[in-house]
Amino acid sequence: MANCAAGADVTRVWDLCVRVFHWLMVATVATALVTGLSGPRNVLNIHIAAGAAIGGLVAFRMLWGLMGSTYARFSSFPVHFTAINADLAGFVAGRRPRYRGHNPLGSLMVLALLAVIFLSVMTGVVTLGGVDKQGPLAFVTSYNVGKATQRLHQALAYGLLALIGGHLLGVAYESVHGQPDLIRAMLTGKKAASAADHPARPAKAKPLLAGLCVLILLVGAIRLIVTLSARPALSVPAGPLDPTYAQECGSCHMAYPPSLAPSPRWIAIMDGLPNHFGEDATLEPGLMSRIRAYLTMNAAEKWDTRAAHELQGSNPLDPLRLTATPFWIRMHQGIPESVFKSRAVGAKGACEKCHSDASTGRFDPQDIHIPERAFQ
Amino acid sequence: MKTDRHLILIIVLACTLALATAGESAQSLLDFYANEAKASDPGFSRFSAERGEHLFKTNFSTGKPDTPSCTTCHTTDPRKTGQTRAGKDIEPMAASANSKRYSEQAKTEKWFGRNCNNVLGRECTATEKGDFITFMLAQ
Repeated sequence: MANCAAGADVTRVWDLCVRVFHWLMVATVATALVTGLSGPRNVLNIHIAAGAAIGGLVAFRMLWGLMGSTYARFSSFPVHFTAINADLAGFVAGRRPRYRGHNPLGSLMVLALLAVIFLSVMTGVVTLGGVDKQGPLAFVTSYNVGKATQRLHQALAYGLLALIGGHLLGVAYESVHGQPDLIRAMLTGKKAASAADHPARPAKAKPLLAGLCVLILLVGAIRLIVTLSARPALSVPAGPLDPTYAQECGSCHMAYPPSLAPSPRWIAIMDGLPNHFGEDATLEPGLMSRIRAYLTMNAAEKWDTRAAHELQGSNPLDPLRLTATPFWIRMHQGIPESVFKSRAVGAKGACEKCHSDASTGRFDPQDIHIPERAFQ
Repeated sequence: MKTDRHLILIIVLACTLALATAGESAQSLLDFYANEAKASDPGFSRFSAERGEHLFKTNFSTGKPDTPSCTTCHTTDPRKTGQTRAGKDIEPMAASANSKRYSEQAKTEKWFGRNCNNVLGRECTATEKGDFITFMLAQ
């Protein structure tokens, strides 16, 4: 930790902690953006891991901004009105005041980046809790809250992309106009000093205190996350399927969890058993009414999973078929027909062939594994 | 040594008994269909594996459009695992490949009831059911 403190060398600007933080942030944010915006759904664990790392990095940077070396401290950021005004005026005039650390516009960018990244992590946790029913907030977040937060999370991701673009443009501009060693400084920590540089009040880093704070925060956060994540998710079906239902309906197709269709749809399906999606599936009357009661009492309206919400939207052309629902079609876009027809999968309705948690009705993105043989 | 011999004896007896019951179950099912067949057709003499094979492999196209024949789901080889239209595996139909077959009358009747309607568009006669099982027992 002693390396983190700025030495007596006047040309040293970014301490080791700032530099390591910066490049770790680059790596983790890039990972989170790529997996979030373009990756397949089953890379969610990588996205979550990147998000968790980013959360830790932001927390560390906050602390280091209070107890780091001179230019790491937020108090050294010239973000007061007169400095920003002077910087803007200099920008227009083509001659900006020189700062050894962050200049006013650069400081604003750093703070904006930190704020947007922090909000991205927070909204990500809420989205994970409400939409995927996972993580520390799953026990308390409804699907609708998760869904609304997800839109915010996405908007923040695009905002972050814009800010990163601005940051890179700013660095490029500075590198051309007056600070050619800007990028190298984030690797070596050293900048050429000039007598015209705006001075910053020297501050001594407190690496031990910061380290202690980080440790306490980390242990506390992990314990809290583990404890909260262990709580049962809000309104998610638990326990096995009714054995009679699983036995009777599961001989020809996967026994679909009742949460995958609203009760009027189940009633219509049970009323049409003599011609059940093209086959005779008649049951003796006693069994039939038992199964019907089980399905309607545990239908989608009762649950708060993503599937329970989204599969309620039906296709007027084929209103009873799960795989005809707009949501099902949207989620399976890009999967070739041949995969469904392959011997390894067999049919679109064979959810369990690719979703190992299908019988629970959760359909976690992490539990998607399309069998290799389905592509041959 | 003596206990060993006893144990072997018990195992052999148990296996014989198990085989006998399994055989008896399919046989009692055949007897049941034979009685039904005699009742509806006085000219009935015995079940035929050839007729059963014909029933299994014929493309009827008189039932539901998605299931023109038994082989649509069960494949043409009764010893192989089939697959339903919804992607679920169907255990082999041949008794040699699946000892659980034709041991429960209620179950057998349930599936003849559904699948004859699916494939033929009508109920199967007792003769057809007996022929079918005779064919499957010979596989």
